[in-house]
Amino acid sequence: MAVLKINGEDKIFENSVPSTLKNLLELLKVDQTTVVAEVNGQIIPRGNFQNTVLRDGHKIELIRFVGGG
Amino acid sequence: MKDKLIIAGKEFSSRLFIGTGKYASNKIMADSIEASGTQMVTVALRRVDIQNPQDNMLAAIDRKKYLLLPNTSGARNADEAVRLARLARAATEINWLKLEVTPDPYYLLPDPVETLKAAEILVKEGFIVLPYINADPVLAKKLQDIGTATVMPLASPIGSNQGLKTKAAIEIIIAQATVPVVVDAGLGMPSHAAEAMEMGADAVLINTAIATAGNPVKMAEAFKKAVQAGREAFEAGSSGVKNQADASSPLTGFLRD
Repeated sequence: MAVLKINGEDKIFENSVPSTLKNLLELLKVDQTTVVAEVNGQIIPRGNFQNTVLRDGHKIELIRFVGGG
Repeated sequence: MKDKLIIAGKEFSSRLFIGTGKYASNKIMADSIEASGTQMVTVALRRVDIQNPQDNMLAAIDRKKYLLLPNTSGARNADEAVRLARLARAATEINWLKLEVTPDPYYLLPDPVETLKAAEILVKEGFIVLPYINADPVLAKKLQDIGTATVMPLASPIGSNQGLKTKAAIEIIIAQATVPVVVDAGLGMPSHAAEAMEMGADAVLINTAIATAGNPVKMAEAFKKAVQAGREAFEAGSSGVKNQADASSPLTGFLRD
């Protein structure tokens, strides 16, 4: 069993966490062209989603634009 | 010569900026933005809803026509605002930012100390900072002195539609401004926007008054006209206010003995 903390909530994976940030976004069906991601407090540029390796226990923030004034 | 607003070297022919919150649908938002004639729209950053990851309002905004101005809404202090600013830059790949730090959720008044602190950091990091502030002339001067691109004093609390409650202080801010003054928050009707523009504000930012109007598209158009009218009146120059009548018709040649 492995865990990622995504947007403040634990997400449990049966065997291991998705190997890269790109794989996680695909699994969650999150649009990669508009999302901003932080892994353990570090902003990951969009071009680096593919080579950002995820490990058990990583904290991930997935953020995007919403309407606002 | 065509009247242009220039912020951080970028020209705007519209002096109306639009917030994108509170619209009933992305379609109404897009149509209202179009009707307003704006060239800059604000957006906020929030966590993706993992249960509903497809919802994407950005798709409704044509980024070739409208400059995105991400805000730091939700930030309660300088650290949170700086974090949001960096995320916004990663998302948009541009440096424009509406800085807002509002620790109090009831009146949503901006924190002057934390706003100045965040602005200092962000200006150094190369952001084009448009700070949302209370109508405080001393703070406005400090912000423009450290290199913010504008100052954005509030007319009244966000979303309150109360109009220009801070008029006297905004007049001072305009008088001493070395950067464009954008009146932000609280303008509830086109007449409020016209009044701000007549005073010499460089632009206004409207969200709630349009987004929650009975007919947002029509209200967007009304604000567009009001902002244009107010600006033209400012350029034309008021003939001033007098305490007594000053006849418009000649006071000679009356038909009486």
